Amino acid sequence: MKTLFRNLLPAIAVSTLLVATAVNARAQGAKLQMDQLDSLANKASETVDVKLDERLMQTTAKFFISKDPDDAEIRELIKGVKGIYVKSFTFEKAGAYSPADVDSVISQLRGGAWSKIIGVTSKKDGDNVEVYLNTLGDQINGLAVLSIEPKEFTVVNIVGPINLEKLVQLEGQFGVPFLNLPPPKPKIEKQNP
Amino acid sequence: MRPKFVIILIACALLFGSFVWTGSATGDDFNAVVRAIEQFYHVKHQNIPLLARAGMKAAKTAARIRGGEYKRLAEAGSARVAFFEEQTFDSHGQIASFKASMKNALSDTWSPLVQTLTPKDEEQNYIFVRELGKKFSVLVITIERHEATVVEATVVPQILAQLMKDPNEMGKALTQDATIDP
Repeated sequence: MKTLFRNLLPAIAVSTLLVATAVNARAQGAKLQMDQLDSLANKASETVDVKLDERLMQTTAKFFISKDPDDAEIRELIKGVKGIYVKSFTFEKAGAYSPADVDSVISQLRGGAWSKIIGVTSKKDGDNVEVYLNTLGDQINGLAVLSIEPKEFTVVNIVGPINLEKLVQLEGQFGVPFLNLPPPKPKIEKQNP
Repeated sequence: MRPKFVIILIACALLFGSFVWTGSATGDDFNAVVRAIEQFYHVKHQNIPLLARAGMKAAKTAARIRGGEYKRLAEAGSARVAFFEEQTFDSHGQIASFKASMKNALSDTWSPLVQTLTPKDEEQNYIFVRELGKKFSVLVITIERHEATVVEATVVPQILAQLMKDPNEMGKALTQDATIDP
């Protein structure tokens, strides 16, 4: 038995490493490429670019340790979050950014592990909000929000286990802007017959 | 070639190599950023003016009046400040080019945290962070139409964590902190 275990040990170690790498790769797959939007800064009247990467998130998450309820709430919110990336451009005139700029982000969200969970379009204002989730089975690997308005274009990308409730709680913190998302639907509890 | 000579040669190469590596990894990025601003905007930095110090003293006093002692964010003696006053900052519509030139001035050890640009008013805020052992070094660059400030300060992770809750206000808080008289 001992010999069998000893023989299997390297295989177990390699398998564990491969699984860990795969999980990490999936989470990284939820990170969107947004650098191509940087050139919009020259046309925009206001640009906000926030990059809180995994290393920074993990290092600082350890320090929300006080008994303060706010710290406990934040600790819970950012638990497992591997990155928060925000790019927001405000323009003086409508039509300053092109559909190709929007498509450079949306094309990454088509198919694969991404699925659109919310799409709100206002014909009156031309505002459009889309929320995408990156999932594998029951596991959420990331989230993307696109707010497409005539004079504003915002992309929020959160890598890690995040749901809509957590996103709404994160609004106004860690660089996540207020997104005016529709409130999450209340969970319907199954009633016993 | 004698073995002793070879060993000395290798030792010298390693020593020289390590010096070169250390030099580029811990190069003076604060000065590099100040130079990048001077070159791009054709301006010259100054020492922090007395007026700003007086203003910051007022902030310190106000904190005391509110019933709390002003808590410093930066580690004592760690802050470096370069101030550009009464000069014109005009990027001629190429604000993104300045962003790129500043990125080039900094070594790869810095991670960009927040960048806000308002080209119409020539307002720019940049915050970069890098690990410094168990602490963090934060570089804050604030540019307005007629003035600019570059601040580098060392903060403990607890402070960085609190500042990260509102990254947009982080630069303002650190700049104010670094320019207050001890």
